[in-house]
Amino acid sequence: MRKIWHIGITDLKLIVKDKMFFFWSLLFPMIFIYIFGSLFTAGRTDTKSALMVLNKDKGQWGAYLIEKIDAPGIELKKVDAIPKDYIRFVIIPENFSQNIEAFKSQSITLMQKSDSNLKAGRMAETKIMQSIIKLITEMIIKGEKDIKTFFDKKPEFRSMVEIKTRFPDKTITKIPSGFDHTIPGILVQFIMIMVLVSGGIIVMEDRKRGILSRVLFSSASYLELLGGKFFGRLLMGLLQSLILIIVGMIMFHLNLGNFLYSFLNILIFSACMACLSIFIGSVLNSEEVIVGVAILTGNIFAALGGSWWPMEVVPDTFKIVGMISPSYWAMKTFHQVIFFKEGFSEILINFVVLSVFFLVFMFLAVRYFKIRD
Amino acid sequence: MEKKILEIKNLTKTYGELTALNSFSLSLEKGEILGLLGPNGAGKTTMISILSGIVKDFSGTVTFKNENLFSNRELKNYMGIVPQDMAFYEDLNAMENLMFWGGLYNLPNSTLKKRAAQLLELVELGTRAKEPIKNFSGGMKRRLNIAIGLIHNPELLLLDEPTVGIDVQAKVNILDIIKNVGEQGTAVIFTTHQLAEVEQICSRIVIMDKGTLLAQGTMDELIRIVGGKEMVDVEGEFSANHFSEIIKNQNHQGIEILSVSDNLANLAFDNTDLIPSMMEQLFKNQIVVSDLKIKSPNLEAVFLKLTGRSLRD
Ligand SMILES: Nc1ncnc2c1ncn2[C@@H]1O[C@H](COP(=O)(O)OP(=O)(O)OP(=O)(O)O)[C@@H](O)[C@H]1O
Ligand SMILES: [Mg+2]
Repeated sequence: MRKIWHIGITDLKLIVKDKMFFFWSLLFPMIFIYIFGSLFTAGRTDTKSALMVLNKDKGQWGAYLIEKIDAPGIELKKVDAIPKDYIRFVIIPENFSQNIEAFKSQSITLMQKSDSNLKAGRMAETKIMQSIIKLITEMIIKGEKDIKTFFDKKPEFRSMVEIKTRFPDKTITKIPSGFDHTIPGILVQFIMIMVLVSGGIIVMEDRKRGILSRVLFSSASYLELLGGKFFGRLLMGLLQSLILIIVGMIMFHLNLGNFLYSFLNILIFSACMACLSIFIGSVLNSEEVIVGVAILTGNIFAALGGSWWPMEVVPDTFKIVGMISPSYWAMKTFHQVIFFKEGFSEILINFVVLSVFFLVFMFLAVRYFKIRD
Repeated sequence: MEKKILEIKNLTKTYGELTALNSFSLSLEKGEILGLLGPNGAGKTTMISILSGIVKDFSGTVTFKNENLFSNRELKNYMGIVPQDMAFYEDLNAMENLMFWGGLYNLPNSTLKKRAAQLLELVELGTRAKEPIKNFSGGMKRRLNIAIGLIHNPELLLLDEPTVGIDVQAKVNILDIIKNVGEQGTAVIFTTHQLAEVEQICSRIVIMDKGTLLAQGTMDELIRIVGGKEMVDVEGEFSANHFSEIIKNQNHQGIEILSVSDNLANLAFDNTDLIPSMMEQLFKNQIVVSDLKIKSPNLEAVFLKLTGRSLRD
């Protein structure tokens, strides 16, 4: 175990020492993140929920309702007629006050444009619901003037009723877009490129220089050597992830959803690439060819797998082709975890598929790893 | 205390039709410096590679520290191997390299650091420990290559052509290092096709060719093989066949052909008085001799006698 660690850490040290390291691991991916991040920044979340109100009621309760709805987070605008252009608006019917005092059923209509922001819409709905509840409470305790004076007189009631609203677990609060989509996408792309390029070249050069044989001159075993090489490449993938995640969090408020699931996803994907890089470093014989192959496959897989544009928006045939790329499954997991807040049972299938990729790549790595030409 | 550290018995290795190593046997005692001398393709690297464990499918046995070398991986902790390639990381500095290679052995970090610093002094890289290896000269790289083989303080050091491709001064340097290592009690085997090297520092010399051990012994013992003969090199205009025919046909008793090629012959004479009569014969056969050198017996003559060819590439 100590030797595996030692060999792996040394490989990591080699890539960090390389002058090109920060270009490959930070600058280059940042360019991609900027390009694709700004390209696919659709439907940015509104900070406030725009709401127009048409109050047809002349009595006190209509006005009361509007007063309660007009809270921070709601951009309220009173209108006199049904507006032609709106995001969402609410109508309080004629004789509203009169009717509710007579306990007649009343309906309040909320209208929303179909392309309006979902989260903002939920916010308006929630606010209206809260206001209705307040109104009903007010009517029940009539005579005590208002809720505040009622609670001031009877503090024991204060904790009796508590109104809490929250979104159900799987509410779609975002569509996969913006930097929360792009950063994981470019992350997946660059784990692949970086591990294949750096990891592949070192395996190839170690073989050509006789370093692999020399390791076996010591009491380190073949398995420890192979394990060390695998571990080193796994660390490369994790280091690449760490760099982009930290930058993403600082610069773009990156949200990774459930951190454990996202980490598992990165871990399995990096393990796939670690094996693949040992394989290409063993069968290819020059730096140029390895760089070429790595960048080509890295970019093709990125495009097919949904690193650049969300798979949710591409045609089905494209999606099916994309499934041959491990990136597809890693991206699918990220979307499910970050945007759809899905649980372990939903993403398990992706992990299973990635594990199959891992086994195939591991077979290739073990089968083709050679100590010398 | 047992003095014998290594015993090789009947090592045979074939590559298809080619026999790279033919029933090769050898033994080595502690503190000995053994020079393995042989021309290109003699099987020197094959021998070292078998001992280092990277060449498999051979027959024969190797006993190291009284155990079968291949039965116990831990034995490798007592053996240092310096390959012919500069097998280390050029992107790390000398110190970092020693720490990496030493880290593959079960040594505490502090011991390792101390040992690395000592070795860098030994190979005269003490002041260059933190410099990028890319800036090193060929000789400096060779020295680092040796230091890496010594990092775990082995009892046996194997070096494959440690002086190849470097200038004379650098060679002298490396031979000094090897001598030094031997004096500290480490047994050394090094391969070379440079006669001068083995003459300088080896306590014992093995001559091999085509996978076979031809002779072994100290310098004096080996020279006795060519006896009290005088070595004569003849240069002129002749073909190899014609020249040997003349010498053989004239039945020159006391003249032995060690090797002959077109325009150059190496001969061994029982007595230099035989030279004038040989010259007469050559003259009669219209052979023009342009140069004739008389030398005292040396290792080169031994080598010529044993292999029929010169060590020069
Ligand atoms: N992997 C191999 N496959 C086939 N033949 C080989 C292989 N390795 C060595 N040989 C052959 O075995 C013979 C011995 O080679 P070896 O490398 O041991 O010689 P050497 O004494 O080290 O020569 P040199 O002085 O050139 O280093 C040579 O004829 C060589 O061609
Ligand atoms: Mg050799």
